[in-house]
Amino acid sequence: MSAILDGRVGDAAIEEPNYDGEFDAVVVGAGLAGSAAALTMADRGLEVLLIERGSSPGAKNVFGGVLYTPTIRELVDLEDAPLERYVAEKRFSMLSHDDETALSISPGEWRREPHNDSYTVLRGEFDEWFAEQAVDAGATLVTETTVTGLLREGREVVGVETDRPDGGVEAPYVVLAEGANSLVGEGANLKATESRENVAVAAKEVLEFPNGENVIEDRFRLFGDAGVSYHYFGEGAVGEAFGGGFIYTNGDTVSVGVAYRLEDAAANDQSPEETLNLFKSHPRVAPLLRDARTVEYSAKTIPEGGAESVPDLAHDGAVIVGDAAGLVLNNGVHLEGTNMAVESGYHAGRVIADANARGRTDADALEAYGRALEESFVVKNLERYAWLQETVEEDRELLFETMPTAFADAGAEYFRMDREPKAEHASRAKRAVVDALGGWRGLAKLALRYRKVVT
Amino acid sequence: MSAQPDVPQITNDSIEDRLYTVKYQDPGESHLDVKVPDVCARCTTNDCVSVCPANVWREGDDGVPHIAYENCLECSSCRFACTYDNVVWEYPETGAGVTFKMG
Repeated sequence: MSAILDGRVGDAAIEEPNYDGEFDAVVVGAGLAGSAAALTMADRGLEVLLIERGSSPGAKNVFGGVLYTPTIRELVDLEDAPLERYVAEKRFSMLSHDDETALSISPGEWRREPHNDSYTVLRGEFDEWFAEQAVDAGATLVTETTVTGLLREGREVVGVETDRPDGGVEAPYVVLAEGANSLVGEGANLKATESRENVAVAAKEVLEFPNGENVIEDRFRLFGDAGVSYHYFGEGAVGEAFGGGFIYTNGDTVSVGVAYRLEDAAANDQSPEETLNLFKSHPRVAPLLRDARTVEYSAKTIPEGGAESVPDLAHDGAVIVGDAAGLVLNNGVHLEGTNMAVESGYHAGRVIADANARGRTDADALEAYGRALEESFVVKNLERYAWLQETVEEDRELLFETMPTAFADAGAEYFRMDREPKAEHASRAKRAVVDALGGWRGLAKLALRYRKVVT
Repeated sequence: MSAQPDVPQITNDSIEDRLYTVKYQDPGESHLDVKVPDVCARCTTNDCVSVCPANVWREGDDGVPHIAYENCLECSSCRFACTYDNVVWEYPETGAGVTFKMG
């Protein structure tokens, strides 16, 4: 075991021939969850090896665009972090094929620190910075090193196998932070492969505007560091699929993308790339993106199985965190993953440090991590919306196709400018919604069914 | 849709140009494969082809998909999408494969 540290970055190239037993914990993957775990353990005096398969932390990582910071800012000083813009406006938009009906929320409070803990970031930059904070705390980072499997002694996980020559690393604790494509955890039977009903595919572009100054500020009505988070759903966003589109403003670029269920992607002839093209061409989206140039195209899978899909989090000698643990919330209104990744990494790191102090590596001891997550917002939020996926699936045509058109029609009727009295317009507007959504009875049922999304 | 009044034309890069925006280091051999080619030959849905955002999976003449692994953005959609669990997916080793600068 000497070659693995060849991949080390920074000034950690200390000559030492053998690192077996050198590390208390190995973290697989230097994304948000992995670096949070590494940082937390290093802060508590553990020797931590953080292994990243990409050329640098973040090199393999893709997300929509918003980092939620309530936990991470307790772990590190974000003063020097590469944040793009804070989210000053959230906009939720229903798109039919040529209509838009939208709700915009922009409280003054969001323009003041800490900006509701919501910032756009680019993961290539942010994840590298965050991993550096773990290194500053004492963790050892190796990049361009792929964990290919786990070392076992019976049931117990006792380290990792890597693709480096003599690349096995023994350690009492392994933190699996591999992301949604969790080959190591699945290969070791620590978690099942998620079924495709519970996985979304996302295609994303980062766009820049080569012509003109202040294009982003002007188009999105921004000044200074303020930014926007626009979410779109309905058939104008992703066709008949269950999912949506998004636009987030970064400093000098915008992130635009679509994300929808693999089940729908498989059933449709339209590829995710074509879905993205159509979304960008929507009459209400195209003006925001015109004359842009693509600076990066990317794709990702998103585990959206919710509470029921979260695997056993604690095993003998190992824990699972972040996307690998299915910790993503998507209820249509809240789309969160980064905050849950950091929270899970933090609790995992804290619990391992406690267990290490007591000389325990067994699943029973590490189960304190699972309990901590259950008591945190992470699992509470997932459980709160556990009913939603199935219900939306049943109502998908109504929600994604009928409703966007019905609301647009109602808006058109309500504000129709002609020589009829407004009472006629109001009545027709009301009928457009009520009839489309199954009469008053249907409307009441629908309101009852989805009230918990917002209340 | 572009026939509508006052909607600007959006020009999208081709998939080839889009893939030029990311750095790619060829690991020398494919990190993707199929487990049992016969399963693909009998498959009529080609879900791997439908879900791929990067045109990695393409319908092959003999019913077994052609895999342009060097296009891969490592999203893993194919692995989850295949209802026969017939996709071999391994992480490209020693830092090879796609590199996102922004992500």
